[in-house]
Amino acid sequence: MAKTVILGVIGSDAHVVGITILEQALSAAGFDVVNLGVQTSQEDFITAARDADAEAVLISSLYGHAEQDCQGFRERLDEAGLDIVTYIGGNLAVGQDDFEETRRRFRELGFDRVFDSETDPEDAIAALRQDLQIATTEAERHRVEG
Amino acid sequence: MLRDEPIPGEQLRRIDEEIRGNWPTGQAVDFEEAIAFHESLPASKRFADVLEAAEKPLLQPRAGVPRLDDQIDLLEHLQNAGQADLLPTTIDSYTRDNEYEKAQQGLDDARADGEDTLNGFPAVNHGVDGCRELIEALDAPIEVRHGTPDARLLASITFAGGFQSFEGGPISYNIPYTKEHDLEETIRHWQFVDRLAGAYTERGVRINREPFGPLTGTLVPPCIAIAVMVIEGMLAVTQGVRSITLGYGQVGNLVQDVAALHALRSLGEEYLGDDVAVTTVFHEWMGGFPPDEARANGVIGLGGMTAAVAQPDKVITKSPQEFQGVPTKEANAAGLRTTRQLVDMVIEQNVQLVGVDRELNLIQKASRELIEEVLALGDGDVAQGTLAAFDSGALDVPFAPSDSAKGDVLPARDDDGRIRIFEFADLALSDDVKEIHRNRLDSRADTEGRDQTFRMVADDVDAISDGKLIGRPQGGD
Repeated sequence: MAKTVILGVIGSDAHVVGITILEQALSAAGFDVVNLGVQTSQEDFITAARDADAEAVLISSLYGHAEQDCQGFRERLDEAGLDIVTYIGGNLAVGQDDFEETRRRFRELGFDRVFDSETDPEDAIAALRQDLQIATTEAERHRVEG
Repeated sequence: MLRDEPIPGEQLRRIDEEIRGNWPTGQAVDFEEAIAFHESLPASKRFADVLEAAEKPLLQPRAGVPRLDDQIDLLEHLQNAGQADLLPTTIDSYTRDNEYEKAQQGLDDARADGEDTLNGFPAVNHGVDGCRELIEALDAPIEVRHGTPDARLLASITFAGGFQSFEGGPISYNIPYTKEHDLEETIRHWQFVDRLAGAYTERGVRINREPFGPLTGTLVPPCIAIAVMVIEGMLAVTQGVRSITLGYGQVGNLVQDVAALHALRSLGEEYLGDDVAVTTVFHEWMGGFPPDEARANGVIGLGGMTAAVAQPDKVITKSPQEFQGVPTKEANAAGLRTTRQLVDMVIEQNVQLVGVDRELNLIQKASRELIEEVLALGDGDVAQGTLAAFDSGALDVPFAPSDSAKGDVLPARDDDGRIRIFEFADLALSDDVKEIHRNRLDSRADTEGRDQTFRMVADDVDAISDGKLIGRPQGGD
C-alpha cells in the first residue's frame, strides 16, 4: 500500500519550486503526497499529518528563518501522539557556511534527517524508503547520507 | 460584482481617504499640491517622457535600503559609477505585507545603530516629504519597485511624493508573491492604484505603470508571461493609465528571448490601443545565478547581448553577486556597466538571427489564444475573465505559490534551450500549439536518451547556476 507523506514550506516562506519538484518525484516514486504548499504553519502540518494518517512530514525552508519556524515542532507532534518521521531541507540558516553545525541544530530540534539545498529528490526518496522500511535496491541505499 | 470599469470619482475619493486614514503619513497627501510638485520637476525627471523618448535601451538596477540618506548615497553611486539611466527604489518586505508598524521599527533600528534589518526602503514611513527629498536629490527619474498585493497606500504616498513610475499589477504581484491573497480583491486594489495613476495622468502628470513580467522567475513560458502582461495592461488602461511598460524575463535562449520581446511589444500595441504609449522592459535572468561572480557576469553579458538585439525600451540589470542576495552598491554598478558594454558593442551590428520569425509566430499564436480565452470567459469583461481563467486553470503560472492559481503547468527546455510546456494541465492552448511543444520536447528526450519526465524540469531549474542552459543528464548519473 502506498505510504502517505506530507510536504510543505514552513513559516512565511514563499519559495515553491523545490516542493513542486519534490511532489512530482515522490508521486512518481509511488508515494501518496499531500502538498500543503508555501507559508504553512506547524499546526497545518500536524493537522494534515493526523488527517491523512501520514508516515512522514517533509519540511522545506529557503529563506533562512527555519530554526525559529520549527521551534517546538517535535514536541507538538509528540503531544498529538504522532510518531512520525520528520525531514527538513533547504537553506536552513542565513549564511550557512558550516552545514554540519546546521544539521546538528536541526537534529536537536528533533528532525530525523536534515538536507542541504543541493539535495536531489532521489536522495530524499531513498532515505524515506529506508526509514519507512520500503523495499529498495542496494544502489539507492548507498546514496543515503542525510 | 467586479467589472473592468473605471472607478467613479466619488468612490475613488472615498477609498483614498479611507486608505490614507490607516496610517499617519497618509494625512500629508494633497492631490492638488502633489500635481504642483510634479509640475515643478524638470523634464529630466519625467519618467514616462524619458523612457518613451529613448533611442536605445535604458538601463535600470534594483536597489533599496531603509534610511533616506543611505538611499540617496546608494542611488547616487548607481547613477555615477553605474551610469544608470533610470533609478529604482525597492520597497522592504514589511511594507509589501502592509505591516507599517514593523517597517517603522526596522527604520528606527536602522537610524539608531545603522543596522539594516529591513530589506528595502519603507516609503510609506518616510512619507510624502521623505520621498520628495529623494526625488529632488537625484538627477534621473525614479521608479517604485516592490511586490505588494495591496499597494494602495504605497501608491498614494509615492505618487504624491513625486515618483512617476510604479511597478506591479493584480496578477503579477499576487500569483508569484503570496499564498492566500484573493485574486478578486487584488484586482480591486490595483484598479484603485491604476485609477489614481489615471487621475494624475488626466492632469498632465503621466504616471508610468509597469506590470511585473518575470512572474515566478522560473522557466516561465513566454506565452504565459505575455498574456498576463497584456491583461494587466488592459485593466490599467480602463482606469486611465496612458504609459505602460510591459515586462519579460530573460530565459537565456537568444532566439526565443528576442522573439518574445517582439511579440510582447506587438501584442501590447494591438490590445492596448492607439492612445496608450506602450514600452517594454527586459529583465536579466531572474532564476538561480551561478555562485561565482565571473560566471554570473557571463549570464549578465548574455542579457546585455539579448537586449542589444531585441532593443526593448528598458533593461533591469542584475549584479554579479546575485547568488548571495542583496549586492553591494559596487557590484550593483558593475552589473550595469557589464550590460552597457555588451549593449553598446552589439547594438549597431544589426544582428539577424535565424528562426526568430518562426518562434515569434508561435509565441504570438499561443499568447493570443490565452488572451482570447480570458476575454471569452469574461464575456468581454477582462476582470471577470481573469478570475474565471485562473479558477479553471485556462490561465496558469508555473511554480505559483498562490492558492489563486492552479500552479499545475510545468515548463521544460527543448533541445535548443527554448522554454516549452511539459505539463499543460488545463491551459487554454490549441492542439496545434501543444503538438509543437510536445514535438520539441520529444527531440530533447531523444537526444538525451531518456523519457520526458519531471526530472528534466528539475534539471532545468538548476542548469544556469550549474553552468549550462539545458539540464542535460550528467555522465555516470
